[in-house]
Amino acid sequence: MAHVVLNDLVKTYGAFKAVNNVSLTINDGEFVALVGPSGCGKTTTLNLVAGLTSVSSGEIVIGDRVVNDLDPKDRDIAMVFQNYALYPQKSVYKNLAFPLQMRKLPSDEIDKKVREAARVLDMTQLLERKPRELSGGQQQRVALGRALVRDPAVFLMDEPLSNLDAKLRVQMRSEIKRFHQDLKATIIYVTHDQLEAVTMADRMAVMSGGYLQQYDTPAQVFAHPVNMFVASFIGSPAMSLVPVEASTEEGAPVLIGAEGWRLQLSPHNAQKVAKAKTKKVVLGARHSTIKLHKSAVPGSIPARAYTVEPTGDITFVQAFLSGAIVNVSVPPTVAVAPDEQIWLEFDQDRMHLFDGETEMALQAS
Amino acid sequence: MTILTGKAETVGRRRPEGGGLLRKIWDHRADYGYVLPAIAVMLIVIAYPIYYTIELSFFATPPGLQLRDKVFVGLNNYTAILTSPVFWTVTKNTLIWTVASTFLSFVLGFACALALHRDFLGRGILRAILIIPWVISAVAASYIWKWIYHSDFGIIGAVLVALGWTDRPPNFIDSVSTVLPSLIVVNIWREFPFAMIMMMAGLQTVPDQLLRAAKVDGANAWQRFWHVTFPHLRNVSTVTILLLAVANFNSFIIPWIMTGGGPSNASHIWITHIYELAFGRQRWGVASAYSVLLFVILMSLGYFYVRALSGNEQKDGAE
Repeated sequence: MAHVVLNDLVKTYGAFKAVNNVSLTINDGEFVALVGPSGCGKTTTLNLVAGLTSVSSGEIVIGDRVVNDLDPKDRDIAMVFQNYALYPQKSVYKNLAFPLQMRKLPSDEIDKKVREAARVLDMTQLLERKPRELSGGQQQRVALGRALVRDPAVFLMDEPLSNLDAKLRVQMRSEIKRFHQDLKATIIYVTHDQLEAVTMADRMAVMSGGYLQQYDTPAQVFAHPVNMFVASFIGSPAMSLVPVEASTEEGAPVLIGAEGWRLQLSPHNAQKVAKAKTKKVVLGARHSTIKLHKSAVPGSIPARAYTVEPTGDITFVQAFLSGAIVNVSVPPTVAVAPDEQIWLEFDQDRMHLFDGETEMALQAS
Repeated sequence: MTILTGKAETVGRRRPEGGGLLRKIWDHRADYGYVLPAIAVMLIVIAYPIYYTIELSFFATPPGLQLRDKVFVGLNNYTAILTSPVFWTVTKNTLIWTVASTFLSFVLGFACALALHRDFLGRGILRAILIIPWVISAVAASYIWKWIYHSDFGIIGAVLVALGWTDRPPNFIDSVSTVLPSLIVVNIWREFPFAMIMMMAGLQTVPDQLLRAAKVDGANAWQRFWHVTFPHLRNVSTVTILLLAVANFNSFIIPWIMTGGGPSNASHIWITHIYELAFGRQRWGVASAYSVLLFVILMSLGYFYVRALSGNEQKDGAE
């Protein structure tokens, strides 16, 4: 296994910059997810690491080698593709053996490695089958096996679960996580599904528009998103973002909503707002950090329920506030009717404040 | 309500009970009606001529007699064919012609398809130029090649002499030993674009992801071709080769116009030979017997063609 370093990686297609100065360090044995919406540059970044796309500028280091000019086969990587990319005319055995044959290993060694990989992935009984005789999950396991037999320094996975149905995806998610734990493998995993990234990765790199937005542990990214994009992309349902105006009333800093309500800020949050260069502030809050009251309590804001979505364990209430929709979760025992008058209380310690112009998170210090 | 009414109607028409086959036919009675006109036309223009050819193959049609006064000779025509030395010459020519033309057209067409599959400047123009031999009239092409090969005025001969490679222009199509290869070259020139187009279409269906996977797995360009591209093209290759083989077996224009089968039968293939027997020498019976044999051979080729096609469908269905 090896660590991977991306230094100021750039990929341009004509005038279009698909990857913009991305710098990342992936430690030995670390599981890193590249996550972002379609077209954010995550797959391009992975292809750059794999050597399937040439680098425009910047540097890729795998282990202790700069691999910019090496062919994919010389980079000591293995890749798992979205559509499995199994060779349809070859049996499972031959699919697994193929990368070893290409490396001209002796056939008894190939046999040993293939059978070992098949045993690890529990598909010894499938070795003689053709890919089209396998289910999606089995095909994906063969694709993992084909990467595994190589014993590469780095595993690259390009949305490996997105072709599977929802139930199988959850199952394979834990299988891949287990695979990582057992092998202590360095894995770079591309996904557009933030849930996959959050549940599997040691660290996640959130990308958008070719830029790396934030690179941290899922817990940190979840708790301290650096900007509004990350805040709204990570977490489900998405963080509610309410545009407000910062002001001071009788010496106390407050946020003023479009409907005229006032929210007194805690000293910590007041400090953040005081540092802001603009009066336009966006208040961010996750559904679990907002309390719903049926009557006015000190510090709460009046709102009107819009829709109510029971999901079983919890019920989501959407409310209109300052032109935005705010998601609040309540226990299923709390009955809320659409259009009912409610009051929302924000947890000031877990509330997020963003600069309304730069969209960056406001910092206290 | 509607469903109930429909059921009553069916019962009213006395749908045959039980009897799997009868019932199937009855259920599809309208479908038979739809294909009936086509079947009628086929019977008139295909089935009847086939029947008449088979019938004629058992008769002798001596010159001077009208066709209706033909003489029944049993299997004589067939034994005459199989014992004649010309039959074996023509059969050998046909096999060489078919196998060499098919194989080399396919290889050349495939090579061109691979070359044109990459993106480079002028690819579109080159592709258009390479298709020309296939779209121009075979008759015109045959006359042009006849001149190109001409032993006195041919450009190839002139170039060879100018280069000092030979003293006299070679006799491409007037010599027993060179005539067949010379015609095969023309045939390949004419039909390799067909193979090229087929294989170019096939190449576009090779999944890019598989090629990238093979690249990561360490396969070089040749290994990617051999392990990914070529297996993927197996079905389209089979179909292309079969279509070429049938077309070559049935070739007529190029050999007939360029040499008429000569010199001394050296470039006669089955079709030109049959044509000459029937329309040149009025030996309808023997020509018909030849045609029946050819029919059997082509039907078996056709069988493999259909099987290759339906094999494709099954595979597509499974994926």
